[in-house]
Amino acid sequence: MKDIDILKTIADNVVEMEEELTAKNSKKALEMNISPLTIINQGLVIGMNEAGRLFEENEYFVPELLLCSDAMYAGLKVVTPHIKKEETHVLGKVVIGVVEGDTHDIGKNLVKVLLQASGFEIIDLGRNVPARDFVDKAKQVDADLICLSTLMTTTMGEMKKVIELLKEERLRDRVRVLVGGGPISESFARNIGADGYGENAAGAVRVAKRVLNIPDALAS
Amino acid sequence: MREINFKTRLLNAINKKPVDRVPVLCPGGMMNMAVVDVMKATSCFWPEAHIDPEQMARLSVGVHLLGGIENAGVPFCMTVEAEAMGAKVYMGTRETEPRVVEYPLNAIDEWRKLPELNETHYRVEVVLEAIKILKKTYPEIPVIGNLTGPISLATSLMEPMDFYKALRKNPGEAMEFLDFVAENIVKFGVAMTKAGADVINLADPSGTGEILGPKVFGEAAVPVINKISESIEDATGVPVMVHICGRLLPVLDQLKNIKSRVLSIDAITNLRKVKQALPEKVVMGNVSTFLLEKGTPERVRKAAKVSINQGAGILSPACGIGANTPIENIRAMADAAKIGSV
Repeated sequence: MKDIDILKTIADNVVEMEEELTAKNSKKALEMNISPLTIINQGLVIGMNEAGRLFEENEYFVPELLLCSDAMYAGLKVVTPHIKKEETHVLGKVVIGVVEGDTHDIGKNLVKVLLQASGFEIIDLGRNVPARDFVDKAKQVDADLICLSTLMTTTMGEMKKVIELLKEERLRDRVRVLVGGGPISESFARNIGADGYGENAAGAVRVAKRVLNIPDALAS
Repeated sequence: MREINFKTRLLNAINKKPVDRVPVLCPGGMMNMAVVDVMKATSCFWPEAHIDPEQMARLSVGVHLLGGIENAGVPFCMTVEAEAMGAKVYMGTRETEPRVVEYPLNAIDEWRKLPELNETHYRVEVVLEAIKILKKTYPEIPVIGNLTGPISLATSLMEPMDFYKALRKNPGEAMEFLDFVAENIVKFGVAMTKAGADVINLADPSGTGEILGPKVFGEAAVPVINKISESIEDATGVPVMVHICGRLLPVLDQLKNIKSRVLSIDAITNLRKVKQALPEKVVMGNVSTFLLEKGTPERVRKAAKVSINQGAGILSPACGIGANTPIENIRAMADAAKIGSV
């Protein structure tokens, strides 16, 4: 099998939600002496981006996207131990989490997967995260971006708190803030002074690149 | 037409009989009305009111007395069924609702070990007792019993991501689990009607077409929702309303198969389009909760008028309202139903 064929197969495996086949073919690609980063960027990530596109076009929904990301992670698990440190190139550091008072984290997890697939380094604080923790972590890791998610109207106020705290800490100029989730809208984002609003997971990736001035071609 | 009482008006609206004007509701449950203004006025506060039937009843009726909402409704969250079936729940604060913090299931195939919802569980008892108090104290106000929808309850009993994946990967097991969940929801619903609930509201925010996609929504969520509403209506004669969140236009075909007469929708979907596609349904909604919390009374009144003009058979907030929503705005929404009607 040619390099290009196995990479295409791996991408298809991810799109088709085939966790075991993705892992198996990723291993096979390593054995063919294809570099781990090539397997990731030209196989796994291509597949995950295609899944993201299908999600945006309403061909795939949450269950499908979750299974695709499982497949991608199965492949990553096989190949990442073989990456040499200096090879990695990171687009930016992102601190992500669901704000305090809310434990719905599917949206956040989808954004995380797609950001990761696009080349961002992700620090995931999980769910029900106090505003202070976002700011402390962003400071500690020198993050470029904070992504805040909530599904509940009742916890939307927490997002503004994070932005206020960033101002207090004089970090607002250094760290961009994206918000998203069920009740959130573009106008709400503007209202609280966020830098951007991600309508869905794929949209969040686009907005993340926009607010960090990363050209689309450089990503993925 | 002569003015009719709140209960008759609501039941007429649900049964598509003549009404003098649309009723205005905050059903309860995820769409509850327990804002801080009302907590202060009634001296009944979260989280205590979640576990004290007397306070639950007083807080629920407070928004009727203060804000002109034409129903009482309990509980104020979506954790009662989950806790009764083994989930660990954190009761929240004055401004945030209770939420599940630990799932009883690690994997979907463990569902057979779950306890059944029992009427003697303290959370269930509190709700049933509150309904009895409301019925006794305010017989003319319709009481709405609020149930957690099947997908929302299933995803309160196990990690939601694992459940959503199971719907694709292991649909047989997922459907069996959903059937079990449905039976327990029916049990709670029937108990609510026995305690005196006049209407049942079933809300399933985690089971939207947007999350599941039209295919899974139509094949998994809709039949289970129908099973619950029909079982309760057949057993008790009490009507069941269904609230679905999210964008509904992509799943209009599937919504046609929902048996409930009343479909409650959120603000993201144009009410007129839903009403046009589903002319036989009473559409309930859909005043923006964001506007209710942050807007002026005048803008709320206008938005409420828009909902009515677009064909809302019952006026209500689009979704759960924030705890800091001012009572004036709730009153403005209620006024819109009352003033300038035929």
